[in-house]
Order: sequence, then structure tokens, then C-alpha cells
Amino acid sequence: MRQFLNERLPLEAFSAHLRKPLPKHINLLFSFGSLAMFLLLLQAATGAFLAFYYSPSPEHAYNAVTYISTEVPFGAFVRGLHHWGASAMVIIVVLHLLRVVLYSSYKAPRELTWIFGVLLLLIVLGFGFTGYLLPWDEKAYWATVVGVEIASTAPGLGDFVAKVLRGGTEIGAVTLSRFYALHTIWLPWLVFGLVGAHLFFVRYYGSSGTPKNTPEDMEAGKPFYPHQVFEDVVGMLILFIVLAVVALFVPVPLEDVADPTNADYDPRPEWYFLFLFQLLKYFQGPFEVIGTFIIPTVGMLLLLFLPFLDRSERAVLWKRPIALTVTSVSVIGIVVLTILGGTSKKLETQETAQPTEAIQGAVTPATEIEQVEEGEEVFDFQLTEEEIEGAVEVEESQ
Amino acid sequence: MEKRGRRSFLEIATAFIGGLISLAAGIPLIGFAISPAFKKGESKWVDLGLADRLKNSRFRKVDYTFTAKDGWVKATKKRSVYVTDAGNGEWRVFSRTCSHLGCLVRWDAEKESFLCPCHGAIFDKTGVVVAGPPPEPLQKLQTKVEAGILYVKET
Repeated sequence: MRQFLNERLPLEAFSAHLRKPLPKHINLLFSFGSLAMFLLLLQAATGAFLAFYYSPSPEHAYNAVTYISTEVPFGAFVRGLHHWGASAMVIIVVLHLLRVVLYSSYKAPRELTWIFGVLLLLIVLGFGFTGYLLPWDEKAYWATVVGVEIASTAPGLGDFVAKVLRGGTEIGAVTLSRFYALHTIWLPWLVFGLVGAHLFFVRYYGSSGTPKNTPEDMEAGKPFYPHQVFEDVVGMLILFIVLAVVALFVPVPLEDVADPTNADYDPRPEWYFLFLFQLLKYFQGPFEVIGTFIIPTVGMLLLLFLPFLDRSERAVLWKRPIALTVTSVSVIGIVVLTILGGTSKKLETQETAQPTEAIQGAVTPATEIEQVEEGEEVFDFQLTEEEIEGAVEVEESQ
Repeated sequence: MEKRGRRSFLEIATAFIGGLISLAAGIPLIGFAISPAFKKGESKWVDLGLADRLKNSRFRKVDYTFTAKDGWVKATKKRSVYVTDAGNGEWRVFSRTCSHLGCLVRWDAEKESFLCPCHGAIFDKTGVVVAGPPPEPLQKLQTKVEAGILYVKET
């Protein structure tokens, strides 16, 4: 078998490539990329399986998610892995980014690796944003209302973008359907394309190592396989155990079904968007666009083009005062805003206006199987429940 | 030699841990996907109508509906059967689903047979296969009459 494959595929060359030595001084921080890759695969697998039981329509989505969580064997666990895995992904991707900043690994010739990495960060956030509408509960609905409104404040095309995202003027069936398509088809295609490019650049340019590495050190470390891969899979095992324990013991929140008339609900986004949520409070009136559009866009552009803006010599972060200041301020700022957003008091005032008449609720349409062909006489003698009860009563009285 | 031994150990350990993670994630995922295969269907009695009105020596096609849980949906299911009373209180209620590949059979009164439009199967009036590929007779539904109402067991 081995010989058969060897004759047909460049396995030896591939194996030699995998066994190429890494630079010296590689440490555990270099495993974050592999951990992100592992989480991506775990999210893809759990998501693909969750799709077996999910239906992206306002009539079905909430009940389908409840069904997954309460009735399908392993359902709560699989949903837990997917939900908590999404949070873990954001944490790991950010740690990966910080490791690259720490060692200034984004510098030439690895600018493209960095740019594709930042695009992947955006895609991860896109997965989060499109994913949490899917359970169609209060949080899903209201966080998406606010999220799309943020997009609508972009100058010029904002309103157009918001309508495209919603598939109309308000969040509804079309929105859910397209968020599902984005989450399960469009973003996965994009992410696998970008990951492919990112990995290609990583392998093509080789690991950046740390600034301590001399040119002689660059190929003087341990081989990537099996040494680095072993450390990576140990990390994956630890990460998986943590996620599995959380998925088993911390139920994934599912609030009441989305209600567009619930004025008592205080919308809060997922924790990884809380900094943006908090930021928006400081820009009011005509300055709103600064918080909703200008700061996030400028921040992302600076991050994207960081390798071209930071022209300093390659060195560890604390030897680059400007980079250290900008990174520290950004990280502390995001952490503080996240904490402020998470601990901010919810509105204590409840709706006090006269209650309205209950509006028509969502009715689950029955599925019917059409099996009647034309031209044949069909009899339907079936009785109503009242008629059956009547017949039973008559018999009992006899 | 030592280096080689360490490398070989790491390769085995890497494969072992990778396999362990795959199993730990894979078993619940596969169990999650295939669980409907192990779910027992609920059976219930569904009324077809008053037995007196259904009495007929010839087969009649009778449609009926019932509600059943379909995943997260409480669905109204529609079914169609052929019904005749064979006398002495015996009822013959045949499912219209061909026992071959699930197409719906039609009663041909002239030939006194059930004909399947898909692969030419023919069943006689007792549901037995006369011609064609079906491996089994037509499914005969369990019946009961209570308070003058004919019920079939829906499984």
C-alpha cells in the first residue's frame, strides 16, 4: 500500500517538508495558530452535525434549537461544543495575533501572512455575528437588530448594506435565511480559502521564530513533525477537555423566543462584541458615526496594514516603545470597555404603558403529505373529536 | 539511535492523542446524527369513521389524518388506505404503500388487484404478491371497532 501510494504521490517530499527543522527558541506561544486551526475544524464538524436538526425559519428555528438541546441524544453537548467553541476561537485567535505582535512576526517578508490572518479574524467575528441570530431567541433577535443598525450608520452605503444584510427593512424570515446561508456556506468557503492561503504563506516563508533568532538559528531547531506537532496536539487535547467539560456542565443559554414587541428586553451582544457596544455609548448625536463606523474601520485598517506602518527593526515588543504603547492601550482599552459593557446596569424601568391586545402569535404550520391522485373517488369518513366522544358516551349509556 | 527512538515515540504519541480527540469528538457527533434510527415510533389508534358507513364489500380508498410529533413540529399527517369489510366483523385495511419501494398502489376493480405504477407489482385482494418485485405482501393495518367506530393502528 505504502509503495503504491509512493509511486503515485510525492509522499516522501511531503514528509521531508513536514520534518524540516523550525527555528530555535520556538516556544508554546507558537501553538496558538494550530489551536485556532483545531477549533476551526471542531466548529466545522459540530456545525455540520447541528445542521441535521436545524431549520432556518422564524417558525421553526427556536423549536429546532430547543429540540437539539433537550431531546436529541448528545444534542446539548454538541451545541455546547459549538457555542463555547466560538468563544474559545475568538480568544485563541486574539492570542495568536498578540503572539505575532509580540515577536513582530508580521514584518517582511511575512506581510501577506499577516494580512490574511487579520482577514481571518474578521471572518471569525462574522461567524459569531451571523451565528448567534440562528437560535432566534430574544438575545439573537435584539443583538442582530442593533448590529445591523450599526452597519446602517456607515456614511453613504450604510442604509443599503443594512437592507442587504436584513434582506429588507426589518429582521425576519429573509434575514434568518441569509444569516444561515452566510454562516454555513459563504463564510466557510471564505474561511477555508483564506486559511489555505494563510497556511501556504506560513509554510512558504517558514516560521518567523523570535527576534532572538540569528540567521543561523532559522533552521537549527527541532523538526516541525513530530516535535512541534506533538506539542500542538497536547494543546488541542487540553483545549478539547476544557471545552468538553464546559459543554457538559454549563448549559448554553437560550432565552425566550424572539419577540419584536418586547420593550422590556435589554439587548446585550456576545461578550466579544461588548467593547463595541460600550464604545457606542460615548458618541452621541452627530458624533454617533465616530463610534459605529470611524473607530472600528480605522482600527481594522491600521491592523490590516500594520506591517507597512511599523517600519522599525524586528525586536520583541518591549523593545519597540511605540508598538508597545499602541498595543497596550488597544488591549487595555478593549478589555476595559468589555468589562464596562458586561457590568453596565440594565435599564430598571419596565414598560408602563397600557398593554396592547395580544397580537397573533407564530403558528407552526402543519406539514401535510399530498398523496391523492386525480380521477379517483376518495372517501373521508373521519369523525371530529366531539363526534367520537358522543359515540363513546352513547355506547357507555347502553 | 536515541534521537530516532524519541522521534518514533513522539510520532506514536501524536497519533494516539489525535485519535483520542477524534474519538472523543466523533462518538457524540455520530451518536447525535444517527440517533433517529434508534428512536421507537409511537403507535396510536386513529379513527377512520363510523363502521356502518364504511361497510362495503368492495375496496374503498379512505383518507384520514392524525397528528404526530415530527422532530420539533406537531404535524398533521395525511394517510390513505384501502378498506373493505370481509364479513363476520372482519375488516381488511391495506396500506397503499407498495412493499417494494414505497410507491402508492391503486385498486383495479376489474382485475380485482392492487397495481403499483412504479415497477409493475400486482397484489391480489388479500394483499399477496401476484407479480413483480415486492418481497412482501401489502401491509395490513391492525383494526378495531369501538363504539361503532373503526380504528386503525398507526405506527
